[in-house]
Amino acid sequence: MRANRVIEGSIHGFLRVLERTLESEELARRAGLLQSLDPRVKLLGFLGLIVAAAASRRLEIIGAIFGFATVLAICSRVPLGTLMIRVWAGAFAFTGLIAAPALFLTPGRPIGRLPGLGWALTAQGLRGATYLISRVETTATLSILLVLCTPWTHVLKALRVLRVPIVLVVILGMTYRYILLMIGTAGEMFESRRSRMVGKLEAKDARRLAIATAGVLLSKTMQLSGDVYLAMQSRGFRGEVYVLDEFEMRRRDWSWLALFLALGSAALWMGR
Amino acid sequence: MHIPDGYLSPATCAVLYASAAPFWYVALGRLKRLLTTRLIPLLSVFAAFSFVVMMFNLPLPGGTTGHAVGVSIASIVLGPWASILAISIALFIQAVFFGDGGITAFGANCFNMAVAGSLVAYFTYRAISGKCAIVSRRRVIAAGVAGYLAINVAALLTGIELGIQPMLFRDASGAPLYAPYPLKIAVPAMMAGHLTIAGLAELILSAGLVAWLQRSHPSLLSATAPGAARTGAEAGGFGWQAIRPLLAGLAVLMLITPLGILAVGSAWGEWSPHDLGGSTSRQQIAAVSANHALPAGVPQGLERLSNIWTAPFPSYAPPFLRSASFGYLLSAAFGSGLILLAALVANRVFAAPRRSG
Amino acid sequence: MDGALENMPLRTPVFELEDVSYSYESVAALETVSLAIPAGQRVALLGANGSGKSTLLRLLDGLALAVSGTVLFCGDPLTEERFQDETFSFDFRLRVGLVFQNPEVQLFNPTVFDELAFGPLQLRWPRDRIRQRVAQTLDELDIGHLKDRPPHRLSGGEKKRVAIASVLILDPQVLLLDEPTAALDPRSQSQTIDLLAGWKNTGRTVVTATHDLDSVEEIADYCFVFHGGRLVAQGAPAAVLGDDDLLRRTGLLHVHRHAHAPGEVHSHPHRHHDHPA
Repeated sequence: MRANRVIEGSIHGFLRVLERTLESEELARRAGLLQSLDPRVKLLGFLGLIVAAAASRRLEIIGAIFGFATVLAICSRVPLGTLMIRVWAGAFAFTGLIAAPALFLTPGRPIGRLPGLGWALTAQGLRGATYLISRVETTATLSILLVLCTPWTHVLKALRVLRVPIVLVVILGMTYRYILLMIGTAGEMFESRRSRMVGKLEAKDARRLAIATAGVLLSKTMQLSGDVYLAMQSRGFRGEVYVLDEFEMRRRDWSWLALFLALGSAALWMGR
Repeated sequence: MHIPDGYLSPATCAVLYASAAPFWYVALGRLKRLLTTRLIPLLSVFAAFSFVVMMFNLPLPGGTTGHAVGVSIASIVLGPWASILAISIALFIQAVFFGDGGITAFGANCFNMAVAGSLVAYFTYRAISGKCAIVSRRRVIAAGVAGYLAINVAALLTGIELGIQPMLFRDASGAPLYAPYPLKIAVPAMMAGHLTIAGLAELILSAGLVAWLQRSHPSLLSATAPGAARTGAEAGGFGWQAIRPLLAGLAVLMLITPLGILAVGSAWGEWSPHDLGGSTSRQQIAAVSANHALPAGVPQGLERLSNIWTAPFPSYAPPFLRSASFGYLLSAAFGSGLILLAALVANRVFAAPRRSG
Repeated sequence: MDGALENMPLRTPVFELEDVSYSYESVAALETVSLAIPAGQRVALLGANGSGKSTLLRLLDGLALAVSGTVLFCGDPLTEERFQDETFSFDFRLRVGLVFQNPEVQLFNPTVFDELAFGPLQLRWPRDRIRQRVAQTLDELDIGHLKDRPPHRLSGGEKKRVAIASVLILDPQVLLLDEPTAALDPRSQSQTIDLLAGWKNTGRTVVTATHDLDSVEEIADYCFVFHGGRLVAQGAPAAVLGDDDLLRRTGLLHVHRHAHAPGEVHSHPHRHHDHPA
C-alpha cells in the first residue's frame, strides 16, 4: 500500500508533465490576444509585471496586476476554470497553509482571538499573509499565462532578447525534447512493474525498483548523449550553434510592448 | 525546497542571481573548453535525466516517500561544474514551464541547490572516497553522505534566505512584506523536513545509483575518481587530490571549534569598548596584564572606530541560534566556506587554462 | 559554399576500405574488411544484428575512425586531422548523409521545422535559402502538416520520414541508411522502400544496411554480406539471395516450426517475411 506510492506517485508525476505539455500545445494554438503577440513582447512585458508584483509595497497594486492578468487570460481564450485548477486553488491552499501560523506569530496589534485556543490574530500578521498570498497568486498567474499561450520553443528563442547565450537556448530545447522521451521510458518501466504486481510491494523492492529505473535511465542517458553527439556531427555540427527564428515585430507588437512596459513601470513606481 | 515568487524581496533575489551568475559563467566557459562539441548533448540529456528523477517518489524508512534532487549523483558522474549547469537547466524548466519555483527566485534556487548542492556533494564525495577503488563500498557511503549533506546545506541556505526577510523588509505598519517567519522559525522548519525526508531521499538515490553503477557501468564513475582508475582528464575536475588530506584536517578542526567556548574571558588585546568599560572585566584585564594600570575609561579612538563595522555574527554567535556550540560550528563552516570560495575564484582567475585531452 | 561544390561529380570509387578493423571497448566490431563502392551505385550491407554493418556505416560517415587500415573517400583518407579542416568538413557533411537507425537519436530538435533546418544552419546557408529548402523538402516527403510538431508527437513512420528529410534537405550525393525499415509498420516500410527504390539511376550513391531480405532486390544493385565483423561474400542481389547456405550461415535465414495450412506443422529454413499470414 504505502510502498505502492512509489509507483503510483511517480507515474502520476509523469502524467502531470505530459498533461501540461498537451494543454499548453493546445492553448497556444487558439486565436486569442496573447497568442497573437510576438513572444519577445510577452517575455519582456510579463517579466516587468512579475517584478512589479514582487516588489510592490501596496496590496492594491498587486491586486491590479492580478486583475490585468485575468483580463489577458480571458482575451486569450484561456478558460478561467483551467487557471483555477492549475494555479489559483493550489497556490492558495499551499501558501495559505504556510502563511496561516504567521497570522498569530507576527508581532503587532491584535485584532481578534482564535476561539478555543485564544491565540491573538494580529493586523500585521493578516497583512503579511495577504502580501504573500497575493504575490504568489499574481506571479504564478503571469508565468503560467506566458507558457500556456506561447509554444515552448518560442519562449526559448525569445530568451535571446535577454542576452541568454545561444548555446543555452539550444540546450534548453534539447533538454525539453528529451525530458519527454525519458518520461516515456521511465513511465513504461514503472507501468510494466505495476502490471506484474501481485499484492503489496515491499519497501525494499520498491526501493530497488526506483533505483533500478533511475539506473537504467542514467545509462540510457549516457548512451543517448553519445549517439546524439554523433547525429549532430553527422549533420555538420562543429561546436557553433545557430537558431532560425521566425520572429518579426509588427506595429501591433510594439504597441503592446510599450503598454506592458508602461504598466510595469507605473506599478513599480506606485508600489514603491 | 523550490522557493516560489513572492517569498523573497527583489533585493534578495538580485543578490542571489548575482551570486549564482559567476558560477554559471565560469561553468559554461570551462565546459566549453573541455567538452567542445560534446557539451550540448551531454548537458541536455543529463538535465533531462535529473528533471525526470526529481519526479520519482522514493521510498524512505518509516513508510514515507520523498523526492530527491539528483544534484549529488550529477556531481559524482559529471563533476561539479557540469552538475551546476545541468541542475540549473532542470530547475529552469521546472520553474518556467511547470511553475515549481519562482522566476524572480530562480537565482536563489539555483544558488542553493545547483551551486551549493553541487559543490558540497562533490567535495564531500571526494573527501570521503579518496583514492579507493571505483567498486569499493566506501564510494557508496561517500555518495550517500554527499547527497545528505548537499541537500541539508541547500535547505539551510534556503532557511536563512527566508528567515532574514521579515527582519529586513517590513512595510510602514510593521507587517512583513515577503516571507513572514524570522530565522528562529524558518531555519528549523526548513531543516526539519530536509534532515528527515528530503535528505534521506537524496541519500538513498545517490548511494543506490553509485552501487548500481559499480555493478553495471563502473566507467561512469571514473570522471570523479582520478586516483582510482585513470581514464584521462576529468570533466571539470579541480585537481584537489593533494589538498584532500588538508580538507579532512579542516573538517576535523571545524568540528572541534566549540571547544573555544571553554575559554574564559576575552583574548588579550582584543577588547571592545564594553570590556574596557565594565569594572569586573577591567579587573580581569589588569590581572592578565601583569597588573599594569589601565587607561581611565575607554580610549577615544577605540570608541570612535569600533562603531564603523558591526559584524553579522558577533562573537561567533549568530543571533538566531541559541546553542553556542552550534553557533561556533556554523561560523567555522561559514568562514571556511568563504575562504574556499575565494580560493576557487582565485584559482579560476589566475590559473593557466587547461588544454583538453 | 553552396552551389559549386554540390554539383561536382564524385571521383569513383566513392569509398574504399583497405584492411579496416575497428573495436569498441575491446570487442572487435570489424575485422580486416576490404571493399570498394563505386560512385552512383546502390549497395546493400547484409548481415544479422551485431555483424558490423552499423559500425561500417559510421566509419564511412567519418563518425568513427578505423583502429587499423584506411578508409578512403574519393581517394582521400578519412582521418581526424582531415576533419579538423573546416572546408573539408563542410564539404564532406554536405556530400554524405547518414540516416540513423533510431530516429529518437536523429530527432534532437524541438520541432520538425527546426530539425530540417539544423543541417543547413550548420553549413551556414543564407536564411532565405534555408526557409525555401525546408518548405521544398517538407513537400517532397509529404510531411508539411508536421512542420511545427514536436518529435514526441510523431508516429514511428512519421519520425522516420522526418529523419530522412533532415538528411535529404542537404541533397547529399552519398546517402547512408542504417536499417531504414526496422521497427516500422508495414505501410511505412513500403513507403520507405519506394523512396529508396526511386533513387535507381539518379547518380546518387546509396549504402543501405539491412537484414530485410525481401526488399534488397528493389533497393540495391550490389550486396556485401557480413558475419561476425568480417566480409564473407559479395555479389549481385540475385546471386547472394539464392545462396541459402550462405544466408543460413550468416543468420539471415532462420528455422522454426510453423504451418502453411491448419494442422500441418513442420519446419524448414525460410526468410522472416515468408511467414504465412
